[in-house]
Amino acid sequence: MQVLAGSDPSLADWRARALAFEREVAKVVLGQERVIRLLTIAVFARGHVLLEGDVGVGKTTLLRAMARAIGGTYERVEGTIDLMPTDLVYDARIGDDGRPRVDPGPLLRRGDDLSIFFFNEINRARPQVHALLLRLMAEGTVSAFGREYHFPHLQVFADRNRVEREETFELPAAARDRFFMEVQVKAPADAASRRALIFDPRFHHMDRLVAGVAEGVIDHTRLDQIARAIQDGVHASEAIAAYTLALWDAVRAPDAAGITLPGVRMDRLVQGGASPRGMSFLVRAARVRAWLEGRDMIVPEDLRAVFPEVMAHRIFFDPVYEMRREEIVGALCRAAFETVPAP
Amino acid sequence: MPSRTFWRTVRRSLLQAILLGAAICVAAPARAATVELFAPRPFGYFLGDVITLEAAVTLDPGFKLEPGSLPRPRPVTYWLDLRSADLTELPAVHGARRYRLLLSYQTFYAPLETRGLDIPAVPLTARDGDQVLNLSVPSWNFAASPLRSLVAGGAANPMALQPDIAPLPHPLRADLRRVAGATAVGLASILGLAILRGWGPFGRLRPPFSAAARDIRRILAAPSAEAYSKALLRLHRAFDAAAGHRLFADDVPAFLAGCPHLATEADIMAHFFHASRIAFFGKGADAAMVEMTPDALLSLARRLAVAERKGAARPVAAPTQREATA
Repeated sequence: MQVLAGSDPSLADWRARALAFEREVAKVVLGQERVIRLLTIAVFARGHVLLEGDVGVGKTTLLRAMARAIGGTYERVEGTIDLMPTDLVYDARIGDDGRPRVDPGPLLRRGDDLSIFFFNEINRARPQVHALLLRLMAEGTVSAFGREYHFPHLQVFADRNRVEREETFELPAAARDRFFMEVQVKAPADAASRRALIFDPRFHHMDRLVAGVAEGVIDHTRLDQIARAIQDGVHASEAIAAYTLALWDAVRAPDAAGITLPGVRMDRLVQGGASPRGMSFLVRAARVRAWLEGRDMIVPEDLRAVFPEVMAHRIFFDPVYEMRREEIVGALCRAAFETVPAP
Repeated sequence: MPSRTFWRTVRRSLLQAILLGAAICVAAPARAATVELFAPRPFGYFLGDVITLEAAVTLDPGFKLEPGSLPRPRPVTYWLDLRSADLTELPAVHGARRYRLLLSYQTFYAPLETRGLDIPAVPLTARDGDQVLNLSVPSWNFAASPLRSLVAGGAANPMALQPDIAPLPHPLRADLRRVAGATAVGLASILGLAILRGWGPFGRLRPPFSAAARDIRRILAAPSAEAYSKALLRLHRAFDAAAGHRLFADDVPAFLAGCPHLATEADIMAHFFHASRIAFFGKGADAAMVEMTPDALLSLARRLAVAERKGAARPVAAPTQREATA
């Protein structure tokens, strides 16, 4: 159903580029088609992403490949318990002449051309750093050297390791709500990809691997403009609006919607969350997904495809159920789509 | 054969009665106040019996019974209690107020042999401004009887407790029949409701597509964009019921893998989901009607119903009540 093709030539052209971008990234990251699709949606919705997954599943490779394909520059910071906000902004050292020097830090080094900022192990950093990041994500600005720096093309990717809990600071709900998506990255499931990742020497050296990705498949300076065009160009009907509201109600009050999950008291499960900002992010993501699928209208499948990543981290459970969060939240999202009538 | 004298007597009596009646009617407004007592049988009362006397009071025009002069329930004598005195006002005749006074007495007299007793007169006062009229409910005499003989007969102790009265057998057959009838009607109603709503094992009695085909024929009887949307929704609900969850266009291949008997309709099903997308999420029902005409929609529903019946050997999931009514 190529409804979009004739409607806006530049949008259709950009769609071809977006698909080419996905193909480029998929060349170096095997078996992660869904993650790549979600990250592409985030790129074209201009949203920040929190990646979650084991160590060594290819999160950094994925982001470096994306940064290269998008164009612009890429910076990466490791979160540690003693990292302070100034460490991101300034680089204090002793210069060649033996005198102390303060240079721009990782955030400012590349100027306003910075397109991807990758914050590794975000939950190891202190709340002060989270606060700086919050402002960076919400407003795209940082104050340093007595003035304000703007990052018009910046997209923040953060990653979090859920295995270790020692010496970590849980992200506050407000910070998590600012992330457009929380994406789970798992090791690829199919045997062929896993075998290639282990035995193919191409995957042994990351720099060489990433160098194989074509550079600047999409023009990062025009992403904002194209993102706006997508949001304007993809149509949301009355029926889809009613459906989205019904989904929202079902997630906020699952017992009223008639959802039951085994071993869960539905009237006590959901304590809050599913913010209006989250719902607007959901529709933004659904529009981009519809565009990538070549449609000029949102359909329920678009909402379903992005729902867990956009909404799951915004739903807050009763503390009793927080420990089983991953299992319950997935089941709740599935049940909502299986219960709410569409259209 | 009555004699002539008899007829004459009858005629005279009739004339007299008519004249008397006329005289009473004419004289009624000026008639003096009266208290008429209507009493029950004057004999056959035992210890503890309740006797109700009814007095009809007619007053002169303008007079009104003094409420304060009414007797209050109280022990009248050592053996007689006045249990209640109820006064009701009756409609007035020619401006004269009329009352009905019900007096309930209970006798506690234990006579050794039958004996006459008196319920004393009850004075009443009526008033018209300063004018006072004293009336009285006349006294009444009745015969009270003993409960047992005075002298013990035979060896029986006259003071011994009498045996209890045997319970009266009450015929229950008619009641039981009524209960059985009501139960049968109730069960039949529940059964009917269960079939209509498709509860439990009756879910299979109305396979989703057959029901949908019938509904869609009715909905599309008057074709309009609105009716077309309704018909699309109805078929969506049938798909939901058949799949056991909400079925989206992207889920159709997986659904067909589970229901191979519907696979012959795969192409036209894809067509339906495409038209539905246009109707609900795209240009609207009018554009969708061009894509898939109402007739084609009805024919799809019928073909699905046929395919469903053919595949009935492999029953599909029964629709839950929520989905059936959603």
